[in-house]
Amino acid sequence: MISGRGPYHTALYWTRFVLVAGFGLVLLIPIFWMLSVSLKPLVEVFQLPMQWIPHPPEWHNYPDAWNQFPFTRYFENSLIVSVVVTVLNVVLSGFAGYSLAKYRYFGQRALFIAILCTLMLPIEVLMVPTFLIVKDLGWLNSYQGLIVPVAADAFGVFLMRQFMLHLPDSLIEAARIDGAGELRTYFWIVVPLVWPAVFTLALFTWRETWDSFVWPYIIITNDSLRTVPLGLQQFQAQYVTTYNQLMAISTIAMVPLMLVFFFFQRTFIQGITLSGLKE
Amino acid sequence: MAVPTFSDTTALRPQPPRSLGAFLRSAEARHQLWGYVFLAPMFLLLVAFKFVPMVQAFYLSLTNYDLLSPPHFVGLTNYASLLRDSTFHQSVTVTAYFVFGVCVPLWFFSLGLALIFNSALPARHLLRMVYFLPAVMPVVVYATVWRFLFHPYGLLNDGLHLFGVAPINWLTDSRWTMPGFILSAWWRFVPYFMILYLAGLQNISHEYYEAAAIDGASGRQRFFAITLPLLRPTILLVMVVSLIFMSKVFTNVLIITGGGPDGATSVLSFFIYQNGLQFFKMGVACAASIFLLAGMVSFTLMQLGVFRDGRT
Repeated sequence: MISGRGPYHTALYWTRFVLVAGFGLVLLIPIFWMLSVSLKPLVEVFQLPMQWIPHPPEWHNYPDAWNQFPFTRYFENSLIVSVVVTVLNVVLSGFAGYSLAKYRYFGQRALFIAILCTLMLPIEVLMVPTFLIVKDLGWLNSYQGLIVPVAADAFGVFLMRQFMLHLPDSLIEAARIDGAGELRTYFWIVVPLVWPAVFTLALFTWRETWDSFVWPYIIITNDSLRTVPLGLQQFQAQYVTTYNQLMAISTIAMVPLMLVFFFFQRTFIQGITLSGLKE
Repeated sequence: MAVPTFSDTTALRPQPPRSLGAFLRSAEARHQLWGYVFLAPMFLLLVAFKFVPMVQAFYLSLTNYDLLSPPHFVGLTNYASLLRDSTFHQSVTVTAYFVFGVCVPLWFFSLGLALIFNSALPARHLLRMVYFLPAVMPVVVYATVWRFLFHPYGLLNDGLHLFGVAPINWLTDSRWTMPGFILSAWWRFVPYFMILYLAGLQNISHEYYEAAAIDGASGRQRFFAITLPLLRPTILLVMVVSLIFMSKVFTNVLIITGGGPDGATSVLSFFIYQNGLQFFKMGVACAASIFLLAGMVSFTLMQLGVFRDGRT
């Protein structure tokens, strides 16, 4: 793209690169620092001049940090909660989106608008009443409490409806003429056609749940039910902070999201772009 | 990004009812019945965990509920006391400082970056991945790393030292905590909103630019005559989304400063959390929630306007 444009354009091309790469490097510094500190002995953490590459690397910071709190348990909890929330939300969002896109019934428009309105109600606003409801249900310190209120999120409904509106009605009619029931039509005809959207929604929901902090923080005090973000918060709130171990455990906590990001970059970026729509 | 309308689905003609059995087999019944069946599970969840809490927030904001004794109706007392409460005033000020302090420069930074990214650039994919890292970091890790960066002997002060600037007490000096928070929000969200802009830029057809090039338009003319007008829906979307994102900030505050020093970082969501779930002043907390909600709804109404614009 730069060929035959003259020296001015070549200079501009490289100026842009230097600018963007320089800023990218600045963005990376805190992450490098985190990795670097995670491999240092505690006495060297604040030592100047700073050594970016610790020598020798103290790999044992990682198992030491992991074993200081029951992180195995925290990871299990995070996994259980995020997977169940994702399945629940995606399945129910698919049903609701299908209903709004491909059926006609009384009060449909009003119901759709009511559902859209719930997107304006984040947990930061509703934390007190939601806490009281979950408390009345006896769901404080429970998996139900971590799962059910979080699965109640209308973003997926909105997303699935949009995708399903574009499906031709003739396909669904054809399935029906062949004698397929409603559920069968949905699972065999509709779901395969919107599979990319289902996958994007699943990944997006999983990420949000895996990373969620506010709601679990409010309702969980029982250590055996803590998720990874809560465990990390516990770790850094200790009276004496062992920064090298704290950075080690932060690095570990980052790994699952990073792996998913690297493997599903396209979907991930799509999800991030979609989350703009969510607000 | 346009919201589909209802006009693109087929309307059903009402059919005269015959027998009940015939009705149940009719297309009309199928739509009425199965429409509700498919919608019901999610709708009931939303009723239980969105609508009921919303109504309850209104109700509790009119009571003095404290978790120990049953709620008594106190009218608008909670709202009146909030208006007189200096910690609430501070919380509103701090939230506005944070929200606008982050957002206004962010709109320009991220647009500028997106424009650079959208042009010819070596190693674009690699760079884009790098830019994504702050945004995909788990939120608690992000807050933890920044708390550490703000440490008196942390990397931020080391960096300032290189330029001969005296160290700053990012965590304990109330003049500097908010600028520090704003800096950390830029680190995470400038790349994030750049991606939103980039999506918008890539939706602009190349044909416009080719036509402009034939007409001999300069780069500046192309930007103001093509890019900016066509990017308008995206710009408004970014504005609204960033405002709402920042109004909800909670995790960083809890982890980095716990609202301190002297309430200098006690944003509204943190005020709600403290009053409701630490002091058990449910009425006051809910009144503050309604206040925060009003702010966010006004941002969202702006966004609805945005969508309407985008379609015409």
